[in-house]
Amino acid sequence: MDINSILHIIAENTLRTGLPLPAPRDIAYHWAKPLNLPRSGSMFLYTGVMYQLMPYIKSFVAILERFEDSRLAKALRLAASPKLTGLARAAIKPERDEIELAESILTSIARLLARAGINYAYLYEDDMYTGVILYDMGLEEAFQEHAARVYERLRRRGAKKLITVDPHTTYMLRHVYPKYVDGFDIEVVNYLELLDEALAGRAQPAPRLWSGERVVVHDPCLYARALKLVKQPRRLLEHAGLTVLEPRRSGRMTYCCGGPIEALSPRLAGRIASTRLRELREKAPVIVTMCPICFVSFSRVAKNETIVDISIILSKTLRQDEEA
Amino acid sequence: MLTDILRDVRRALEDPILQESVSRAAASNEENVARVLSHYPELAKLAREVEEAKKRVLSRLDEYIEATMESLRRVKARPYFAENGEEARELIARVVGSNKLVVMSKSMVAEEIGLREYLEMNGNEVWETDLGQLLVQLEGGKPMHTLAPAIHMSKDAAAKLLSEKLGLAVSSSSPDELVASIREFLRAKLTRADVGITGANAIAADTGAVLLVENEGNIRLVAGMPRKHIVVAGVDKILPSLVDAFKAVIVQSAYAGLYPPTYVNITAGPSSTADIELQRVYGVHGPPEVHVVLVDNGRREAARHSVLSEQLRCIRCGRCQLECPVWQHTANNWGGRVYGGPMGLGWTAITEDMSRAAAAAMLCLLCKRCDSVCPMRIPLSRIARWLKRYYVCAFTATEKRQP
Repeated sequence: MDINSILHIIAENTLRTGLPLPAPRDIAYHWAKPLNLPRSGSMFLYTGVMYQLMPYIKSFVAILERFEDSRLAKALRLAASPKLTGLARAAIKPERDEIELAESILTSIARLLARAGINYAYLYEDDMYTGVILYDMGLEEAFQEHAARVYERLRRRGAKKLITVDPHTTYMLRHVYPKYVDGFDIEVVNYLELLDEALAGRAQPAPRLWSGERVVVHDPCLYARALKLVKQPRRLLEHAGLTVLEPRRSGRMTYCCGGPIEALSPRLAGRIASTRLRELREKAPVIVTMCPICFVSFSRVAKNETIVDISIILSKTLRQDEEA
Repeated sequence: MLTDILRDVRRALEDPILQESVSRAAASNEENVARVLSHYPELAKLAREVEEAKKRVLSRLDEYIEATMESLRRVKARPYFAENGEEARELIARVVGSNKLVVMSKSMVAEEIGLREYLEMNGNEVWETDLGQLLVQLEGGKPMHTLAPAIHMSKDAAAKLLSEKLGLAVSSSSPDELVASIREFLRAKLTRADVGITGANAIAADTGAVLLVENEGNIRLVAGMPRKHIVVAGVDKILPSLVDAFKAVIVQSAYAGLYPPTYVNITAGPSSTADIELQRVYGVHGPPEVHVVLVDNGRREAARHSVLSEQLRCIRCGRCQLECPVWQHTANNWGGRVYGGPMGLGWTAITEDMSRAAAAAMLCLLCKRCDSVCPMRIPLSRIARWLKRYYVCAFTATEKRQP
């Protein structure tokens, strides 16, 4: 598909619906319904809807990949933009099990926080997408407009501190929003930082419920290079009883999953993902990711590897702990 | 524009030799640089000093250009200033003349201004003497990496080119044999050449000394054997002093993973002697004429730009390319006509075409790996982000004109 058409769909959709791709609005908070999380407080869980968008992104990229060189791509280029968004809406069909997986990741995160004794409220319908893709694709005007709306909603809810769950949302709120949104003064903490702090403050060591299983960690670029969040996930995994292995390029020199360009060149993005996956696979078949974009990128090209989000693997501790 | 880049990228993805050799080069560069920096920890400190020196020059670029021209005159070299590529080509063509045999050592600025083709068009026989660059010349393509221009070519492909284009009887069985036959072929050109053209890795404003760093040994022959030596260099190569310039070439070779460099050449004016009756005679063994063409081609304007000015600190070690996930799968197919990879975005914007640079930038992952490895601490991802924004603004403006 033509890049200008893709930029159109993304910008138009974000400004109209708050999400970069056509998706039901309640995907942001549907996962939280069974958990009865409190609605008010000053510290809120803010997912930024990145995990929830995973199945939609995967479906969208699959369409783009199919049409990368096709005639349909040329036809789409000629279509007017509202028609394009309509076409995208009809074509994006996320898989049910992927939606459930995304929801289970968020549920795990919520439970991990609760278990660490962290009190927080949830934003529900005010849990909004930050607009990161607009910012990363150079659609800065649209981004600025969207970001102002996000901040207004957060301000109205009285949010003083936000708990974020992925690298992109954390980076946007911590480093980009303060530059683009007048008066933005909300403190931003990542859930891995919180869990790690809680672990340090614990009087008694938590029971080790894994027994030395070997996993390899993939650092997301933003955690490793922009947010200096490298040691925390390793401490958490080791504490849970896992053996953490490092790929050739790790920590500050981690290697991108290719995800950020998957909408523009699915083939190149896929190739980068395969290169990285091969490198990770050399160490262990179980690959721990900490970012929804990395998860989607590796899942697209994985064969016999297991890609698992850190929250799922950490919450296995939780499940067994609770059972005990 | 982006469609063309995506087409080149797809072609690169389907080229198994390019994929294999680029990935091998990236892994070995990573290892080499790490080894060099751990054996010689003082090099990281030198990089900081070079960064500061570069900043000093760029903040007062016009004054430094003037000082460099003055120093060149003082050492009896002949300085020229060319505002753009066309002017540089013309100037050099005049110095060269026609029906001459010209040997060149690899220079990105020469590529930038299309020098070889222009001199050929003017009736000269022109040969690249860097092995990789000669292969690129014979192939009719473009350099795929700043320091390893034929990184995309297998030894079979190289042997085929040499036998088809130069009639050399080579088999591809051994790189030694390939190198020997090229050496023999080029040596015949070098001994007869009228003009030698080199780039410059650094030029010292205080002394007019031109520094060149290399491993093959071709540059010293190109600079030393013909009767005319022409240096063509961007004004970004100026450093305040000879000591700074020396540091710059050391840092460049270190971060290219080629430390110590096999050769560093310094040329400060023509060769001369006063051994006979104290009479100064020019051109003893080296050339009696040294011409230095300082090329602007967008650099002075970029020096005043809030974002692009950062690119001018680049010493072209090529490390950002070898560390970039996109470049590792595309080589210079991702970029402009001449410059590719992360540093290629800024250089294309400065010297070639803003639209092309902006379109290429859309494929940047913004993963910041280049930022972490650049010895000059250039915020390459910030430049890419700025170019992405430029791309979007340009296409939005076009859409408004054609609803």
